[in-house]
Amino acid sequence: MEKTPENVSQQAAAAEAPLKLLGSWASSYTHRVQLALRLKGLEFEYAEEDLGNKSDELLRLNPVYKKVPVLVHGGRSLPESVVILQYLDDAWPHIRPLLPSDPFDRALARFWCHFADDKLGPAVGAVFASTGSEQEAAVRQVHENLALIEAELREGAFKGRRFFGGDEVGILDVVLGCGSYWLAVFEEVMDGVRLVDADAFPLFHAWLRGFEALDEARDTIPPVDRLLGYARGVRHMLLGLAGAGDGAAAPTAAAEATAPVPAPAATDIAVDI
Amino acid sequence: MWASPMVIRVEWALRLKGVEYEYVDEDLANKSADLLRYNPVTKKVPVLVHDGKPIAESTIIVEYIDEAWNGGYPIMAADPYERAQARFWARYAEDKVRALYAIFSTTSEAQRKAAHEAQQCLKTLETALEGKKFFGGDAVGYVDIIVGWYAHWLPVVEEVCGVSVVTDEELPLLKAWFGRLLAVDVLKAALPDRDRLLAANKARREQVLSA
Repeated sequence: MEKTPENVSQQAAAAEAPLKLLGSWASSYTHRVQLALRLKGLEFEYAEEDLGNKSDELLRLNPVYKKVPVLVHGGRSLPESVVILQYLDDAWPHIRPLLPSDPFDRALARFWCHFADDKLGPAVGAVFASTGSEQEAAVRQVHENLALIEAELREGAFKGRRFFGGDEVGILDVVLGCGSYWLAVFEEVMDGVRLVDADAFPLFHAWLRGFEALDEARDTIPPVDRLLGYARGVRHMLLGLAGAGDGAAAPTAAAEATAPVPAPAATDIAVDI
Repeated sequence: MWASPMVIRVEWALRLKGVEYEYVDEDLANKSADLLRYNPVTKKVPVLVHDGKPIAESTIIVEYIDEAWNGGYPIMAADPYERAQARFWARYAEDKVRALYAIFSTTSEAQRKAAHEAQQCLKTLETALEGKKFFGGDAVGYVDIIVGWYAHWLPVVEEVCGVSVVTDEELPLLKAWFGRLLAVDVLKAALPDRDRLLAANKARREQVLSA
């Protein structure tokens, strides 16, 4: 489609159309979109989905995957968080771009976003869904994946940077950041599992602290005690353990865990990276 | 690697842009030092090296080619929503590719199920073709490049495995698109020889059956 005066103004008008996000409070994929919208300063309506009882609206807007997040813009729906993030850049190119402008840097950012979702995320999910030697193998896998990212921070594509996006956060910060908080939460829920060691992954650790200190990240990421409660509930459900977990968190966790979902696959749990 | 659909995607993108390139065939059982250096993370082909800089992941390489040679043939649409749709369907196709491989690696009842599942996935994908000649509209676009390999590979798999997946009855739009895609000269020129592909797949299928 050529950029004629007519469709430039169509695009401008489209940019003004209202935004609505269907999401789930514990879904890091949802957080990515919320964070990106906040970074871009875009107002949006938020609708919380009960993943155990999905709304007709969600099923209609994302018939292929039936998952959150789904962004609705000017009546058109967009599923898949990384697709949505790139859409936000395409539709609002002049506001705080999430992707760099150079094609090679863009390819790098996309590569590592793909790595986060294709390799790191499932590995973390596998740790959470397993025990014993299976879990040990999954933990090793997570460490291998983090080591690759650490290497890029130390001497590779992201050497010397404050954020993956440079001085400011970019798409990879959003993708990795919204999910990496689960690492510390899982460590707390599962005794003896070390996922993100500050000694083993100093640069990744420092980056994560920097990311979590951002105002927009603090506004987006739920409080740790809620995440802990949720994670405990999911862990119990995954392992088929009956009864309460630890102290006060247990009733909430049990409620949130029993409300929805039949046994989720590791990749289905909102506790993704 | 001569028989890799992922490699074909990249070749198609380069050829549509009219970009000259050197092709280096990799023996995946004996990967070159270059490949391991250029793609240490996944160690897979394809890798495009441009001005000494490596790019990996075929779906990402194709977008890179479109952006690096942005004056040439438009692979991605200009409209943000259409671009999002294209990226979505590419993601879907990658997500479901296991359903296609499963036909090849199974037999009897398991294979019937695999063929049926593959058909369901393709039917979902087919919705993106409605009212259009190509996924990209009137001309080949991003999604065509990403899933176009089906047009050449699936009939080979069907023949080798003795199954029918893409039929006029079940997937009329996709079947018609197969024909249109394979008629595009630029794309046709880059495809591996069908007989060679057939022989290679027959050999692999025999390994599966005897396992």
